Amino acid sequence: MVKPKRLLRLLLRIIVLGSTLAAVIIMATSHEKGTFFALSYEAKYSDTPAFKFFVIANAIVTVYAFLVLFIPSESQLWGLVLALDLVFTMLLISSISAALAVAQVGKKGNSSAGWLPVCGQVTKYCNQVTGALVAGFIAIITYIILLLYSIYTFLNPLLGKNG
Amino acid sequence: MALQNEDKLEVGYSSLQPKPKKWVLLMLRLLAFFATAAATVVMGLNKETKTLVVATVGTTPIKATLIAKFQHTPAFVFFVIANGLASIHNLVMIMGDLFGQKLDYKGLRLAMIAILDMMTVALISGGASAAAFMAELGKNGNSHARWNSICDKYKTFCDHGGGALIASFAGLILMLIISVMSIIKLLIKPKPDSTIVVP
Repeated sequence: MVKPKRLLRLLLRIIVLGSTLAAVIIMATSHEKGTFFALSYEAKYSDTPAFKFFVIANAIVTVYAFLVLFIPSESQLWGLVLALDLVFTMLLISSISAALAVAQVGKKGNSSAGWLPVCGQVTKYCNQVTGALVAGFIAIITYIILLLYSIYTFLNPLLGKNG
Repeated sequence: MALQNEDKLEVGYSSLQPKPKKWVLLMLRLLAFFATAAATVVMGLNKETKTLVVATVGTTPIKATLIAKFQHTPAFVFFVIANGLASIHNLVMIMGDLFGQKLDYKGLRLAMIAILDMMTVALISGGASAAAFMAELGKNGNSHARWNSICDKYKTFCDHGGGALIASFAGLILMLIISVMSIIKLLIKPKPDSTIVVP
């Protein structure tokens, strides 16, 4: 009874749910304490607003993707889901772009601003942030595929219903 | 008889459809073009030079020149490129609206416009967001990473960057509205096939 097109959409949504959840968890648990020339420091994701934005955006999309899984298949809400998909794609792209910009400064530094790279001192933290960003990338690419696919099936209702 | 009715319906629809919505969409595209072009230009020309006296040898002071350019920050480079592409996209769409009404490819004109609009929204949102957080970093610094804020030293650079960011966010909101309108145009356009539904 499960049509292949609906199955594909369900699968894509589950992948999105999984990867945004992974991004949230990996970023939120990135935490490292250390010493640097007798100064003790602590690196957390909440030090940087960009990473906080990343966690919040991915958390919102996780909750949304989880709720959408429960909408019955022929309901009127799918039009709203399509519109919200567009908004959430934009949100995810914003969040990963911001997190990537700041993470790049953390890894390479910015010599003209006098900012030293910090990844050398907090390697574990850097690796976890990188992992969270990779999960975020997977989420956004899957989401874009899902969005285009949803618009395609919405536009061809004959094709969509006949699976 | 049925054919005549359909013809009348077609003519009636096409004469009603373009007038109010077409001008609204065109004006929005023009505004979005100006916003993104302004953001590109202001950030692209963003440069501040400061000369400091570093030491004095005898009576001649040794000056050091410090330059703040947008190219130093990859996020700003991405910002300029994204807004540049968005303004080119808007320009092409405006030209297509004004001069190329007949251009079509297998009936996919509206679908292509909607998809390109969505891609542009994604691009601008990525560029504006990255530049916004980099600007916040430049303004507030990050005490945990021992990064000092640079805005007190390069005030003009920061001001211009802030202006470009505001223009880009305005362009983003306009592009979002335009994208939604393009998708609506795509979804409510009556398809010639939909009248022949015989499951």
